[in-house]
Amino acid sequence: MNEHNASPREQGKRDFLKYVLGGGLFAWVVSIVYPLLAYLTPPKQAEVEVNSVKAGKLSEIERDTGTIVRFGNKPVILVRTASGEMRAFSATCTHLDCTVQYQKDMGVIWCACHNGKYDLNGRNVSGPPPRPLDEFKVILQGEEVSISKNA
Amino acid sequence: MTKLWIKLYRWVNERVHLEDLVEFLGKKYVPVHSHSVWYYFGGVSLFLFIIQVVTGILLLLYYKGSEQLAFESIQFIMSKVEFGWLIRSIHSWAANLFVLSAMIHMFSVYFTKAYRNPREMTWLTGMLMFFLALGFGFSGYLLPWNELAFFATKVGTDIAGVLPIIGEPIMIFLRGGEEVTGATLSRFFGFHVAVLPGIFTVLLGIHLILVQRQGMSEPIDVENSQTAERKTMPFFPNFLLRDLLFWLLVLNLLAILAVFFPWELGKKADLFAPAPAGIRPEWYFMFMFQTLKYIPAQLWIVDGEVFGIMAFGIAGLLWTLVPFWDRKSSRGEKNLLITYSGMFAVMYIIILTILGWRS
Amino acid sequence: MEIIRTIPMLLLCLLLPLMASSQSRVDQCLTCHETLGDKPSELFRRDVHFQKGVSCAGCHGGDASAEEMEQAMATEKGFIGVPKGDGISNACARCHSNATIMVKQFNSTLPRNQLEVLSASVHGKLSTTGKEHIAQCTTCHDAHGIVSTKEPGSPVFPLNVTKTCAKCHADAAFMRMYNPALPIDQLDKYRASVHGMKNAHGDVKVAACASCHGSHDIRSASDVKSRVYALNLPTTCGACHANAKYMKGYRIPTDQVKRFSSSVHGKALLEKHDLGAPACNDCHGNHGAAPPGVESISKVCGTCHALNATLFASSPHKKAFDKRRLPECETCHGYHEIVAATDDLLGVSPEATCSRCHRENQNAKGYLAAKTMRHLIDSLESSEKRADSLVADAEQKGMEVSEARFKLRDARQARLQSRTMVHAFNEEKFREVIGAGLNVSSIVAGEGQAAVDEYFFRRWGLGVATLIITIVAGSLYLTIRMIEKTQERQK
Repeated sequence: MNEHNASPREQGKRDFLKYVLGGGLFAWVVSIVYPLLAYLTPPKQAEVEVNSVKAGKLSEIERDTGTIVRFGNKPVILVRTASGEMRAFSATCTHLDCTVQYQKDMGVIWCACHNGKYDLNGRNVSGPPPRPLDEFKVILQGEEVSISKNA
Repeated sequence: MTKLWIKLYRWVNERVHLEDLVEFLGKKYVPVHSHSVWYYFGGVSLFLFIIQVVTGILLLLYYKGSEQLAFESIQFIMSKVEFGWLIRSIHSWAANLFVLSAMIHMFSVYFTKAYRNPREMTWLTGMLMFFLALGFGFSGYLLPWNELAFFATKVGTDIAGVLPIIGEPIMIFLRGGEEVTGATLSRFFGFHVAVLPGIFTVLLGIHLILVQRQGMSEPIDVENSQTAERKTMPFFPNFLLRDLLFWLLVLNLLAILAVFFPWELGKKADLFAPAPAGIRPEWYFMFMFQTLKYIPAQLWIVDGEVFGIMAFGIAGLLWTLVPFWDRKSSRGEKNLLITYSGMFAVMYIIILTILGWRS
Repeated sequence: MEIIRTIPMLLLCLLLPLMASSQSRVDQCLTCHETLGDKPSELFRRDVHFQKGVSCAGCHGGDASAEEMEQAMATEKGFIGVPKGDGISNACARCHSNATIMVKQFNSTLPRNQLEVLSASVHGKLSTTGKEHIAQCTTCHDAHGIVSTKEPGSPVFPLNVTKTCAKCHADAAFMRMYNPALPIDQLDKYRASVHGMKNAHGDVKVAACASCHGSHDIRSASDVKSRVYALNLPTTCGACHANAKYMKGYRIPTDQVKRFSSSVHGKALLEKHDLGAPACNDCHGNHGAAPPGVESISKVCGTCHALNATLFASSPHKKAFDKRRLPECETCHGYHEIVAATDDLLGVSPEATCSRCHRENQNAKGYLAAKTMRHLIDSLESSEKRADSLVADAEQKGMEVSEARFKLRDARQARLQSRTMVHAFNEEKFREVIGAGLNVSSIVAGEGQAAVDEYFFRRWGLGVATLIITIVAGSLYLTIRMIEKTQERQK
């Protein structure tokens, strides 16, 4: 940039421009670096939660127990019967949408809200539920258990 | 501050002799004429590619490429990682802008016949990069493992499988099996972050070196005009600063798009569910997809789909080889055939894309 | 003149005996068999068919005017002997299903579709021989001494019908052949019921077997068309119990069906066709029908509402209610017109049920508990609503809050469970359930609010970034202009 032809006014403008550009560039760099650093900082929940389809290893699921697994936005109850079979049903009670649980001593899937009971085929056998629980498919790939919607 | 830079330059220069390079750069001029605005699109494409690499690497830090976790990991990035939403939406938008910019760049080069002697290799590397860009788009689209992507990949690889003899092996290679499964996801992930970037970078290097060595091409009528009338501007600092200005505006555009039109995630893919309504490919594949719909099922002895794919293949090949069969441009003559066929291609693509959207 | 008057008289005198003799019975069958002294002919004299002028041949065929046996009981004249199996019902139906005979000849208002209906009913199924229906007309109506069903002599007269039905239905060996699962103690139960006791004392208005089950159209209780199918039962009971004129003198209300139909049980059963909901018999019993006693009401309700009954039984209200002879569930919830319980039942405002016994200066401990519990459940409801609206707002703005949505289920569940926990009438236990719900709602509300805040932060951030970029771009452009001007000047 050739400066010795410039008038003092022009020179003043040039300096002002230099400052504005420099300052702007600095602000711009900050507006890039700050989000970048924030992004690179691991969030409090360090890892994505294992949920939905994958339900764990077969060897980790005990017989005669039931667990709730999150399938997308809905809860699914995965039951391993006393004889070792794996069953999965929607865990939303068909009465008023409470979340059901496996009751070992009763040998049924039980809803704590109004004492609804479902047998291990998902059929409503006692209490207010009007319909059985939707069944889900349990797929065994080696040791991995995964749950899928019943097609 | 400036003194520090000068000191640094001198230190490197003693070891590598940068003076020749600097002198070369200082002498570079960019032609200025009525079509010189198109020169910027190569740079914009480059800028968008850099954006993709940067945002892609950032996404890689949190993305998990397995069937069980891909969707959830993107949900995680969108909701739990600070500015994750921004990085992801920028990556998705920039992908589309990158293809658009590359197309504008390609067509502007085509219409100004810049591919002619001595720039045939530049055109070839550019065309190969363009095909790779489409590959980037297709492989990246599957990575969120959502419903639309799953079915779009299914349809897309089905089309590839239609080709006679080689179609089926290609399809199995792409899918990592007979059907689209988690294996496909793994494969596409590998293509997207390792294979394609590697090849692309090599081609990009060649392309840029050629441009630097040969300088900018001028349209034929400008080239043939008097030397006195030809205006130029120095590459450094004029054209470079203008380029940077353009890049800054594109960056702002990306930010606006990311905030006001965040990229959707949809529903997680379910291998056993039926296809939902409204599956379609991304806009840059739409015109081909729509064309296939219009071709009747059987044309003489050839299957309609196969005919369509072959036709596009041949068209693509002709387009790629244009520097070699356009003799007139190599001689410095106007070639209206090229211009008109180019206009036809542009119109065809635009019209069929619109038709595809409206159906 | 006299001759003109006597000729018609003479004619009349001649004709009258003729007319009389044609009116008079030509039933040689009866004449003969009576002399033989067999039971059917003895019974037949009292039979309504005999009174209407039907001879033995009307059912058995043959020639009733013939005196000789061979002529009278001739197959050519249509004699069928003693009909067996479906032959019996077909013989009855020959007249009873024939409009010309029944209406024109006998001016009868009786229905004419009995055999048709019977064949479609459960009794119309084939018997174990496979050759005939289970029941024939004579099974219930007898063969020869048939009287109108309105007469005390009829086996299907209300005071007799129980014995008639019990002939088969209380016979274990017989019923085992057809439906081993069907109970055979209906008559015993019936005798213990209000209906049965009144019936035993000669009340003909009160319900007996046919009143509820029908006569020819009896179907299994699980058959949708049965009168005692759950969905049809309230109408069947209501046929008497909702008829004020019919029920006059019994001094019980006649609005039960109306009240039931507007109740939550009635709506569930009759409108939503939920077979899990109780019909009259589920609370009152079928054959042993009686209103449940005061201490046993919670046991009856508790067969379905088990959790509430258990909690109530160990609550302070149990002893208090028993002492005051208050019917347990009914006191707060009613019996026929049970409406869906809302939070309004709880609390100390004038509409609340608690305030009936609990005032600030009366049963004060309960008053405070009721007030607190209502306050707690209200706070949970509003907390849940707030969390829900925040999450909905974030969703509407396109933010990713599916996890928060999922967590919110637990808040709703806590509220539902607290409504059951109320029946323990224990403030501490109630607070525990509510507390869990409040916890969840506050977490979800926090997440929802954070999502909404993030939405606005992004827009502000964009504004700031755009401002910075505009300044940089603007100054960069001016710098370019400046450079180029300088370059121009240098040329």
